[in-house]
Amino acid sequence: MYKFLAVCGFGVGSSMVLKMSIEKAAKDRGIDCEVENTDLSSAKGSSADAIFTSQELGDDLKGSTKAPVYPIQRYMDKEEVGKALDEFLETKK
Amino acid sequence: MLTEYLSEETMHHVDSVESWQEGIRLASRPLLEKGVIEESYVEAMITSVNENGPYIVLKDYFALPHAKAGEGVNEVGMALLTLNEPVDLAGNPVKVFLVLAAVDSSAHLEALSEISELLIDDESYETILSGDLNDINKLITEGDD
Repeated sequence: MYKFLAVCGFGVGSSMVLKMSIEKAAKDRGIDCEVENTDLSSAKGSSADAIFTSQELGDDLKGSTKAPVYPIQRYMDKEEVGKALDEFLETKK
Repeated sequence: MLTEYLSEETMHHVDSVESWQEGIRLASRPLLEKGVIEESYVEAMITSVNENGPYIVLKDYFALPHAKAGEGVNEVGMALLTLNEPVDLAGNPVKVFLVLAAVDSSAHLEALSEISELLIDDESYETILSGDLNDINKLITEGDD
């Protein structure tokens, strides 16, 4: 099972929506995962298989996490989120 | 429940706004008047876009301005502003602002997931973008049945 993080600046609004998009896209793909939503500073200390966030926050995170960071432009765009998930799965083959 | 937060009092429609900052301020006004949020929260939402980028635009034309839970927020609240003319938010056209005020990481989640379900559904997304407050009201009331 994979552990994913959905990150926004505050961990209460957009990241929650992103979490739902990731869960939907993962379900469509039959991926077993646990998605947690969190704010930027907590994300810096957490471990995960992959982190999904905005371009801006992703640039900030890249230096402080070992997990691969996937930038998402539209948190509610299931297709865009799905593409990022596919990219992640590609690295696991 | 969405209807707990979105009512005639908290939903407004105008033709256009000068800037996305004005959009956030105008959308927030009912919450300020009711004492749900403080002025500092409005400024924090604007600062967040400047610092963290435009990720509050969750889908084309739909923005969810929000900032840190509990800071300048007295209780959970939401307010909606719809526009006829889209306004630019850092390269993204926006027609709908849904201001979210949270007190912690959980109390607002039910309402937030309800609104997400509506936005994911193409038909209800169109209704929200239409900006027609009567139709939007009908939509969220039906969702609560």
